Amino acid sequence: MGPYHVMLVHFPIALWTTAALIILLRTFSDSTLARAADGALTLLLFLGAVFGALAFSVGLMVWPTEAATSSPLARNHMLMAGWSLAYWTVLWIIRWRGGERVWQGLWKWVMLGLAGLGIGLQTITGTLGGYLVGNPSAASEVLRMLGWEVFTTFYLPSWLVVAIVCAAAVIVMIGIVGRRTPA
Amino acid sequence: MRTSPDPRQSLLLALALLLFLAMLVVSWLFHGTGVIRDDPKRNISIPSQLTVPLQVKAAYNGEKMFFRYRWPAQQPSIHHDVLKFEGGQWKTYGSAVPGPQPQGLHEDRVTMLVDDGSVPEFEHYGGYITVGDRLATLTHHASEKDVKAHPYLGKKKGQSEVSKYLPETRTDINDWASVVPEEKLAAQRKAGYFLDLWHWRAHRSNPIDMSDDQFVAEGRFGDKGKSMASNNWDVAKKQPKFMFDPEKTGGKAAMTWEPLVQGKLGFDDAYFLREDQAKPFDPAYPWKEGDVLPRRTLRAGEGSVADIAVSGKGRWKDGYWDVTLTRAMDTGNPEDDKIFADHRVYTTAFAIHRNATGGRWHYVSLPVSVGLDRQARIKAARFAGDAPQWDQGWTDVQLFYPGQVNWPLINSKRHPGADKVKQGVPVRFRHSEIQLAHYGVEMEFNDEIRKQWLYTFAAGLLLIIGLGFALNLLLPKREN
Repeated sequence: MGPYHVMLVHFPIALWTTAALIILLRTFSDSTLARAADGALTLLLFLGAVFGALAFSVGLMVWPTEAATSSPLARNHMLMAGWSLAYWTVLWIIRWRGGERVWQGLWKWVMLGLAGLGIGLQTITGTLGGYLVGNPSAASEVLRMLGWEVFTTFYLPSWLVVAIVCAAAVIVMIGIVGRRTPA
Repeated sequence: MRTSPDPRQSLLLALALLLFLAMLVVSWLFHGTGVIRDDPKRNISIPSQLTVPLQVKAAYNGEKMFFRYRWPAQQPSIHHDVLKFEGGQWKTYGSAVPGPQPQGLHEDRVTMLVDDGSVPEFEHYGGYITVGDRLATLTHHASEKDVKAHPYLGKKKGQSEVSKYLPETRTDINDWASVVPEEKLAAQRKAGYFLDLWHWRAHRSNPIDMSDDQFVAEGRFGDKGKSMASNNWDVAKKQPKFMFDPEKTGGKAAMTWEPLVQGKLGFDDAYFLREDQAKPFDPAYPWKEGDVLPRRTLRAGEGSVADIAVSGKGRWKDGYWDVTLTRAMDTGNPEDDKIFADHRVYTTAFAIHRNATGGRWHYVSLPVSVGLDRQARIKAARFAGDAPQWDQGWTDVQLFYPGQVNWPLINSKRHPGADKVKQGVPVRFRHSEIQLAHYGVEMEFNDEIRKQWLYTFAAGLLLIIGLGFALNLLLPKREN
């Protein structure tokens, strides 16, 4: 399944990267071109999510689960790939439901920030994938300088896992409270 | 369609994003913590430094082979286990523990495995092939009782723990006890299926300018002959066998504890017990509290086990050990030693112990080729005369802490590269030393890390989904 995974990952990478460029363009421009490109954004993000899910599923079949979950690099790759997929899918849903509203006021900066973070996640995922197929890149040096040795598994201590779950709950509560706010 | 910006909604949006980002930053700062720690009960002690540089040179003159090693060590550990007079009794200090021995009573070492091509996997995987199932000092090691009860290893070879062994000396690499029949072991040895092991010890061989000479086959054994270190403990009398002869050691019958553990005894002091400078232990001697005798007695070895000598003096100076070992190229013991011949290429793998560690708490290298007038990573220089000039440059070899990765694991379903190993793809093709060091450490905590990684994965997903949920709810309301 390895070669098929490598083939498939090109699609979400290309789609999400294009989507990020459109978000960048739309954030700073209200031109006809920017609006036209934005018209394709929802579809690009949707296709990215579909191909991302496909690539992720095929990737899970490259090695036996026992092997993949015993290798620090493979664990990191799966973690980042899973988060990338979830993250870009969330972005798709926001753009789909939000429509033109996401380009107004504070929201366009939110979109730009989210896209930047998404690009970061998919770059890390790709870098780790490169290691796994024997093509390491210097990008991992940047991560090392920032404090993460990619040969070690990215995991969090239990207290922080609990804190994140609580934070997720608080974030949801903030959303619910915000919804109740009258327009 | 227009939207109406709501300050309260904007504030909540900023709050949600801020919390999300804060969690990302905190995660980045604290990732990788909370699991890896020393755990002596599980034989786990992680060194603070995972790699160490070693420098090597080699030379030969047609008769003798020379290897010179240089490696950093904060201080020399030149002592090994000792007998201390305490409360009217002699007590042993310096026994092996996971990681550094607390009183610094464990000798430094440099070792070198050598093969001439008779053990093909060694060229690709180095010492990993010798780390079999349930070796001593691993978290999951075979019990002393089981090893002693083994009909060959225990009862015939006198082993009490599983030592390094080669894969084909077992019918099943996943079972240390599945030793092939003795006739086959003998045939393997005759065919050269063993690794020569040069084993220099800062206490048990260096003081008499010698190196231990061993080999790895169905276990790790000393070559034939009389070894240069013997036990100085009389089990029956519960006292040392020998003491320093004051007439030959400047009036000293023993060392004293404080200067010993403070590292104040140097190469010029009486820190080792040589047979010709010792005399039978005298229990009537006025022993004082804190008197110390080495638990090992040194003597000139004999036979194949004494083939390797120190050339010059093995010394630590200015933060570095500098040790040169020499041996006849042809020792005449082809079933104990790898015979060196001109124009041939050999495979070696190096290891050092430092900071008073023993057992598996060493730093090892990946396989390194040595060529005698042949292209190789280490090019042995041919010279005329008795001693090499050492005018060629050093070959830098990266040593790393190997953790708990054994040959059964490397060949198992738990290793994603197991199929590549079966194809003979060399370890260096996919793994660097620092990578292997980190993997080795993580394997010591594999179950805990995997569990924590899964929790992290799930928590991250929840955070992303939570943010997505909140952002959707916080989208500005449509106005017609």
